[in-house]
Amino acid sequence: MTAYIIRRLWQMIPTMLGVILLVFVLFNWVGGDPAYVLAGKISNQEQIDNIRRQLGVDQPMWVQLWIFIKQVLTADFGASWSTNEKVGHILATRLGPSLTVLVPLLILETLFAIALSLAVAYVRGSLTDRVVMIVCTVGLSISILVYIIVFQYFFAYKLGWFPVQGWGNGFVENLFVYSALPILIGLTVSIAPSLRLYRTFFLDEINQDYVRTARAKGLSENRIMWVHVLRNASIPIITNLMSSLPGLLLGSFLIERFFSIPGIGREVILAVERSDFPVIKAITVYVAFATMATNLLADLMYKAVDPRVQFK
Amino acid sequence: MTELRNLPARLALAALAAAALALPAAAADMNKVIHHAFPAAETGFDPQGISDLYSGTVVQAIFETLLTYDYLARPSKLAPMAAEALPQVTDDGKTYTFKVRKGVYFTPDPAFKGQKRELVANDFAYSLKRLVDPRVRSPYAFLVEGKIVGLDEAAEAAKKSGRFDYDAKIAGLEIVDRHTLRIRLKATDYGLAYVLAHEPTSAVAREVVEAYADESGRVQSNPVGTGAYKLAKWVHSSKISLEANPDYRGFVWDFKAGSDPDDARIVREMKGRKMPQVGRIEISIMEEDQARLLAFQGGEIDLENMEGPLAPNVLDGGKLRPEFAAKGVKLSRFVDPEITYHFWNLQDPVVGGLSKDKIALRRAMAMSYNVGEEIKVVRNGQAVEAQYPIPPGVVGHEPAYRSSVRYDPAGANALLDKFGYRKGADGFRTLPDGKPLLIRYASRPDSLGRLQDEMWKKAFDSIAIRMEVQKDRFPELVKAEKECKLQMRTAAWIADYPDADNFMQLLYSKNIHQSNNACASIPEYDRLYEQSLRMPDSPARNKLYVEMAKLIEAYAPWRLDISRYRNMLAQPWVLGFKKHPILHAEWQYIDVGPKK
Amino acid sequence: MTTTTAAPGTPAAGAHAVPHTVSPGLWALGWKRLKSDHVGMVSLAIVAAFIVMMILSGVGLVAGDWSKELGVNYAPPSFIGADIEGGTPAAAGVAPGATAAGGPASSYQSSVVDPLADVLAELRGEAKPAAAAEADAADAGKSVDPLADVMADIKAGAAKAAASGGAPAAAVEARAPTLLLGGDKWGRDVLKKTIKGSQTSIFVGLAAAAVAVFLGTLFGALAGYYGNWVDDLFNWFYAVFSSIPYLLLILAVAAVLQQKGILTIVLILGLTGWTGTFRLIRGEYLKHKAREYVQAADAIGASHARRMFVHIFPNVSHVVLVQLSIYAVGFIKAEVILSFLGFGVPVDVVSWGSMLNEAQNELILGKWWQLAAAGTAMALLVTAFSLFTDALRDALDPKLKGRAGM
Repeated sequence: MTAYIIRRLWQMIPTMLGVILLVFVLFNWVGGDPAYVLAGKISNQEQIDNIRRQLGVDQPMWVQLWIFIKQVLTADFGASWSTNEKVGHILATRLGPSLTVLVPLLILETLFAIALSLAVAYVRGSLTDRVVMIVCTVGLSISILVYIIVFQYFFAYKLGWFPVQGWGNGFVENLFVYSALPILIGLTVSIAPSLRLYRTFFLDEINQDYVRTARAKGLSENRIMWVHVLRNASIPIITNLMSSLPGLLLGSFLIERFFSIPGIGREVILAVERSDFPVIKAITVYVAFATMATNLLADLMYKAVDPRVQFK
Repeated sequence: MTELRNLPARLALAALAAAALALPAAAADMNKVIHHAFPAAETGFDPQGISDLYSGTVVQAIFETLLTYDYLARPSKLAPMAAEALPQVTDDGKTYTFKVRKGVYFTPDPAFKGQKRELVANDFAYSLKRLVDPRVRSPYAFLVEGKIVGLDEAAEAAKKSGRFDYDAKIAGLEIVDRHTLRIRLKATDYGLAYVLAHEPTSAVAREVVEAYADESGRVQSNPVGTGAYKLAKWVHSSKISLEANPDYRGFVWDFKAGSDPDDARIVREMKGRKMPQVGRIEISIMEEDQARLLAFQGGEIDLENMEGPLAPNVLDGGKLRPEFAAKGVKLSRFVDPEITYHFWNLQDPVVGGLSKDKIALRRAMAMSYNVGEEIKVVRNGQAVEAQYPIPPGVVGHEPAYRSSVRYDPAGANALLDKFGYRKGADGFRTLPDGKPLLIRYASRPDSLGRLQDEMWKKAFDSIAIRMEVQKDRFPELVKAEKECKLQMRTAAWIADYPDADNFMQLLYSKNIHQSNNACASIPEYDRLYEQSLRMPDSPARNKLYVEMAKLIEAYAPWRLDISRYRNMLAQPWVLGFKKHPILHAEWQYIDVGPKK
Repeated sequence: MTTTTAAPGTPAAGAHAVPHTVSPGLWALGWKRLKSDHVGMVSLAIVAAFIVMMILSGVGLVAGDWSKELGVNYAPPSFIGADIEGGTPAAAGVAPGATAAGGPASSYQSSVVDPLADVLAELRGEAKPAAAAEADAADAGKSVDPLADVMADIKAGAAKAAASGGAPAAAVEARAPTLLLGGDKWGRDVLKKTIKGSQTSIFVGLAAAAVAVFLGTLFGALAGYYGNWVDDLFNWFYAVFSSIPYLLLILAVAAVLQQKGILTIVLILGLTGWTGTFRLIRGEYLKHKAREYVQAADAIGASHARRMFVHIFPNVSHVVLVQLSIYAVGFIKAEVILSFLGFGVPVDVVSWGSMLNEAQNELILGKWWQLAAAGTAMALLVTAFSLFTDALRDALDPKLKGRAGM
């Protein structure tokens, strides 16, 4: 077990190097020279060279790459090129709002999706099952952009059930007032695919031998579903959940922009627009690390829930 | 949202506070809040370190310049701010003497080590030096570069030594006494007073800079000024909270109504009040138009700049829609002191050059563009066609001038035929030498960029020229533009200060690689421009500008496009609001009453 | 790749050679199962209808003139009736004539020599204003036009041009007050845009899916078949790609490719989207390469490439097909987001994504029809496509159920 973890951690190093290299090449290739914008409306070549020097973009590529690697090792990405704010501080302040929306969203989504999918798996093959599945497919086929535009217009503005947008100072206010509609939209968008996915997990389990054995033993159908099937299907569910978290962090940029939530996704768009390389580098590295870490964690939990899983 | 709206109690409290503590700014009521929205993120609050409008708006509320503008006077009129009076200008506009107000103090800060820190003449000299300090790399260095005696030399020395010597004497920045600053210029310049009303010249305290400077010598997050407000809370690119500065000296609202009938109401609402009244300013960053408009309609924000895309929701042409007027929403509307123009790169092998066939090509393109349709469809009627390179509200504007360039696709086609731009087998025109003709129009990847692409696509289709859109992110476009590598693009220029020179310099050949984005070098234009530099605002100078405008039409480095309307909406409970064309922040001149 | 799309029922190529392959009737069986699935067949019909529409529009038979401005600006749908307010957002302050008003005001006479003044005046077919003529006369004395003889030449030919081409622009074409499904900002027919948009969106979805699945299959086959360091290399590549946040990857690739048109969108999506297929196909190859039929092929001296693509591939091709349709659905939706980020279709092309982004501000103005048309069309196709994919998967390989992760 320990050996396995060490090996996995060891494997992260080449991956991380690959991430660093790819990001470095991609973003250097596309220019990413913000000197002209930073220099202002009226500037001369000398000022631009001066800025390049300060940002370090006039250095040879390999020096810049080495600086990047050092930054990753020390977890210090310096300051944003456009605001001079410390990158670490930027990320720390943006993470909270993103998680305020995402964590409740994931919890609610998982609970609803599990309950609903268990229910339809129970009545699998029936008309209800088919109708629910088709409704899910229809729901899935509408673009999230449409959901946001329409929901913001009707629920927030026309009906006045939620504030149109905004972000407050207190956690409670943010969670219950400002995050409510974004979470609702998130649920609408994400529950359909989860439901479909979890239903197949449950169906896989229901067809297993142990279910038949349990029935033969005379256990109630409820008990079989809620205890045995749920416990075994929870492995793929957890894996799925964990691996979706890092992607969601950035993936919610649309919601964050429309609802003025100061989260990570919005920050990424802003950084790319401004060619703010330090911020881009930091976010990429942290998210990559989070992705690898959650993958490892998911595998370990896999093991914890199901001792039959063998690590190679 | 929980404002205490009990007027008598509030007054009593204010009176008590004033009597007991003799606080100079007791007028501001912490329960009065203005909610404001910015459509783009700010970058920071160092007056010498920023260049974007939204950071500048906040800086204007926190810091003070020597001069400012009269709140109600139109066209904009300079007024003293931290100076006691307008400067004494002597020596043919080469020497400016300012008396700085006595008894003005910076907001307390640990950097002052517990001392009260008075604002002195040297603080302004210090700020002007910071503008050219290579370490600070101020985007507004151009405001003073090449102007003040000895300042450029000091900057040069700093480049060599790596450190700007702030203690060295600079001949052009003479501290006559503690409160008197004399600025000496290398050449006559009647525009300097405007520069000193622009927020990059705001006074900052050297102690504060030295205590908090980051690696580029800037203090972006700890602004300490002498202005009406101070920064209370800042969540980057999300929320900015300002609070009335308790140490601010305050002033009594006493502005004269102009010709605008609405001014009378404003004077009635505000006259004689002790300012500032509003205790807190809460600014949120909201990027999406839909979110901002819905938030205003829902009463979540008090002031909103209604831009073109959603204007029909609120405005019926130039007036508020009845449902808004009935609610008591107030509209402050005027043409912004800005121009939008399409430019061609005069150094480009295809569209550039001053030979007749190239001029004909540019003029044909200019004639193919339907500004009227842009105003109607893209801008939703919230713009006027720009006839003159100097927009309304700027000294030197000629309201009666009409451009000779007009939408005339038939004429454009005839002109192209004339100069041998023949149509090939595919129906598209070629260059006179038979080589293929393709115009690359550069634009940003946003929705306005897309609409401009569509407008130009239609224009080029109407004159049978093949067009391609070059999409890039803003920093890349700016870079290519400054390196004279673009072919054509649409640009906008908003007045830094309301003087014609700020616009006419855009085509001066010495500003190529800087602000001359058309990379134009038209000898006749240069000659006239250099002549205009030596003149104060006068009919003679205006005559030169007319000549220059004609040159722009003849050589077509630009197609003048539009000037947008500024439509500032204020909720019914906002009192005394009138958008100023140059000032960014009016918070210290307004009040809020109880919500209905 | 082409073997996969061979008519259903045709036995896969490798199946003849090696008896141990999955039953040769896989495709026939799948088709039979699919036919009995009503939802699947209806979906297939809808998808087929969309593809027919896409082809018709592609060859220019329908909606070729989508960019024509047929109606008034924001023409409402016919079933609602013309906008009583006048159809156009008020253009106060800008009378349409304002643009043409022009005319040199006599107070702005100048000595500036317009190098094309004469040509223009005559091309417009207008009499030279007296004031300008005077100015010309005055100029003649003090500034010499360096190109005077050229100007004379042009003048000679100008009269003809004035007669033929200089006539006043044709009267504005009559615009319809309403259109069947309404008009957009410029007055273009939303119905035609939706049809033309389907062409772009479906093409982008299918082509990008083809690229992504091709890359994923190729990499997965190589990694799974060869194992060892090849497997390690591709796994490393996979880990790197799937660790970088997808949004940043898209933005970076988009910026690298610059903006060149639909092909760019296909590449952006294709180059960033291959990871899912890679994982699946690699697994399949790992499983299959140990099977007896592959070992048998080895024994008869089949090359590695032959074993990989002729023997094993037909047995995993159903996975590829299902992946292809899952990806197509995902990419049709992704194109909308790309448009939002500003990396959408070029200006002379319309797609559902570009329509939805235009419609972003229209709903709030009460002009909901473009949002509704593009949104509905997309929902219909994507729903049908997804249901068809489900049916296809169930028909081809019931074990695969539930892999739809998009």
